[in-house]
Amino acid sequence: MSEFLRILENEVQIVALSFMGTVYIIRLAWMFHFKAGQEVTMSVGDSKTGVAYSMMNVVMPWAMESARKNWSFYIQFVIFHLGVILGIAATFIIPYWPWLFEITAIVVIFQAVLAAAAVVGVIRFVRRVVSPVMRVISTPDDYFSLVVMTLFFASGVFAVPNTYEVSEMPLVVFFIMTTFFLVYVPFSKISHYLYYPFTRYFLGKTMGHRGVFPRKRGGELPAGLE
Amino acid sequence: MNEKAIDISDVMNLPLDTKEQDKAVEENVPSIKEGKLKTYNPKGDNVKRLLGMLKTKLNRQVVGSMVGCVHCGMCTDSCHYALARPDDPTMTPVYKADQIRKIFKKHFDWTGRIVPWWVHAEDPENDEDLNRLKNIVFGTCTACRRCTLNCPMGVDTATLVRLSRSLLTELGIVPEGVFVVSKDQWETGNQMGVSEEDYLDTIEWMEEESQDELEDPTLKIPLDREDCDFMYTVNPREIKYDPRPLGAAAKIFHLAGESWTMPTWGWDMTNFGLFSGDDTLGAFVASNLYEAARKLRARRIVISECGHGYRASRWEGYNWAKNKQDIPSESILVTLIRYINEGRITVDPSKNSLPITFHDSCNLARSGDLTEEPRWLLKHICTDFREMYPNRADNFCCTGGGGALSMVEYKPLRMEVGKVKADQLAATGAKIVCTSCHNCVDGLTDVIKHYKLDMQVVQILELVENALVLPEKQETV
Repeated sequence: MSEFLRILENEVQIVALSFMGTVYIIRLAWMFHFKAGQEVTMSVGDSKTGVAYSMMNVVMPWAMESARKNWSFYIQFVIFHLGVILGIAATFIIPYWPWLFEITAIVVIFQAVLAAAAVVGVIRFVRRVVSPVMRVISTPDDYFSLVVMTLFFASGVFAVPNTYEVSEMPLVVFFIMTTFFLVYVPFSKISHYLYYPFTRYFLGKTMGHRGVFPRKRGGELPAGLE
Repeated sequence: MNEKAIDISDVMNLPLDTKEQDKAVEENVPSIKEGKLKTYNPKGDNVKRLLGMLKTKLNRQVVGSMVGCVHCGMCTDSCHYALARPDDPTMTPVYKADQIRKIFKKHFDWTGRIVPWWVHAEDPENDEDLNRLKNIVFGTCTACRRCTLNCPMGVDTATLVRLSRSLLTELGIVPEGVFVVSKDQWETGNQMGVSEEDYLDTIEWMEEESQDELEDPTLKIPLDREDCDFMYTVNPREIKYDPRPLGAAAKIFHLAGESWTMPTWGWDMTNFGLFSGDDTLGAFVASNLYEAARKLRARRIVISECGHGYRASRWEGYNWAKNKQDIPSESILVTLIRYINEGRITVDPSKNSLPITFHDSCNLARSGDLTEEPRWLLKHICTDFREMYPNRADNFCCTGGGGALSMVEYKPLRMEVGKVKADQLAATGAKIVCTSCHNCVDGLTDVIKHYKLDMQVVQILELVENALVLPEKQETV
């Protein structure tokens, strides 16, 4: 392995990751400097249950009509985000636990998921370009984030075999993209995962307090009225 | 603003009408004089004022919804405006929320401040842009919160719409109807400008009617009685236009042997602050009600059938008034269930034999906690209850939510998008659609009339009244 690739996989990633972590900390501090809304009413339901329900929403596609009636979009969502998880995992496995990618089955699983995620990225990009509704709401950041994510997945497909002795190019491309991501993500829509717990928490807390979450499916009356 | 180029909606360019505002200024209305009710100043630097106010209205929840949207478009199919106008991108919830989000990004988002075009961060340029924002947030959204519950990220678009409304209300850039109703609520304490004399007359009239119907002169609608089990609060529509629900409630409370009262001040449980975004008005109206209950030492507050009234009085009002809830409150639906469960009233479901469906009010189902209570009641008071689909928190708005009924200029669009509701109603095959909200009664009536459906709208109280079995005579009331 060349010194360039070694530094790129290690020191450069650590610096970029530290940068991202620092920006995220500042970002969260910024968010928390806004006052929290106060709830001073007597509760009907339970805030904690509401928060848990709201947080678990991501794995309950039946709980939300938009996912329930649009299974293909939900499956795309799952594949795309599995790609993100495995892509990030690969950036750690390659420099720190390279033996894992000596197991063919693991490499194949990573490649399959990353390739599928890249395909979903292309589908999503086409949807964003073709649909008049999506075009109107899309910003340059939306397009750009999708393109670079798709390229990241694609580069990951070639990087995970970790065959630097054959060619370092796939790994160089993959880690340059990773570095770029770590620096760019905090300023783009991709950082939505940072906000996800908060938006879902706020919604779940209010809706849980009022007894709206967990959603009722029929029959149950509140305690004291049965 | 950017979207002018794709403006294909006829409501976007409706001008700001200030005739009622001008009239109120001329009349030197106290709420305007005291600075509570804001009017439009064409010479004021309104854009600058809006930007200045935005920061003061942000809290953690709102900021979360500002930064959390990923423009995935999943909210599109949840909105009846977008479903009825699928080719009009301006009808989508995300587009509507983006109108305030772009201003937020321009001032609070790092990327938006440095490279605004990259994330569509943008300020309104002039009052024309603010008027367009008014038409979007008042005219193309009923704040029904259906998109909120269908957002994978948990972005509360309805809250962002209300925030936008609140900023515009501070500038007097509001539909005439919103201004007039707000003025009435500030001036008279109720949103329909009912005078105390008319209020007392209606109560007396309903008391006499109810006495005659039950042939029982001991039936009373008590006023300002202290230490009762509950204080009953109503929608001014029950005083001004349709007092039958009040009469029905009086009969039921009497038969149940209830200890109850109504206040002479603080009886309006509706709250236009919810629709206009004016928390100060919201706090004023809600505080009237809470204060009345405290003064009368009522053990509970019972709220008659009204979606936004229930939401405002039961939930939001305490928060607007920063008034920790000290007296329990409940919907009359809960009170009715208790009466039936405890055998305090007897009902015969065969007296409501026509096919009946139920429309969930947005404010009760998505912002309140009442979805099973009305169904429990319907199963006890009618014989042919047919569920509407989708239902409960997935139900579609009646078209009249968010104060839309007061904004006549947007009615053509409201009726057009009402097709979603009309299809839902027609599919039930029911002859009667029951709801638990006065606003929904009017919204549904408009839809039924417009789409020529063979249906009538009733409220649960009417059905309970119809199903009542009198203890001694065993006759229908």
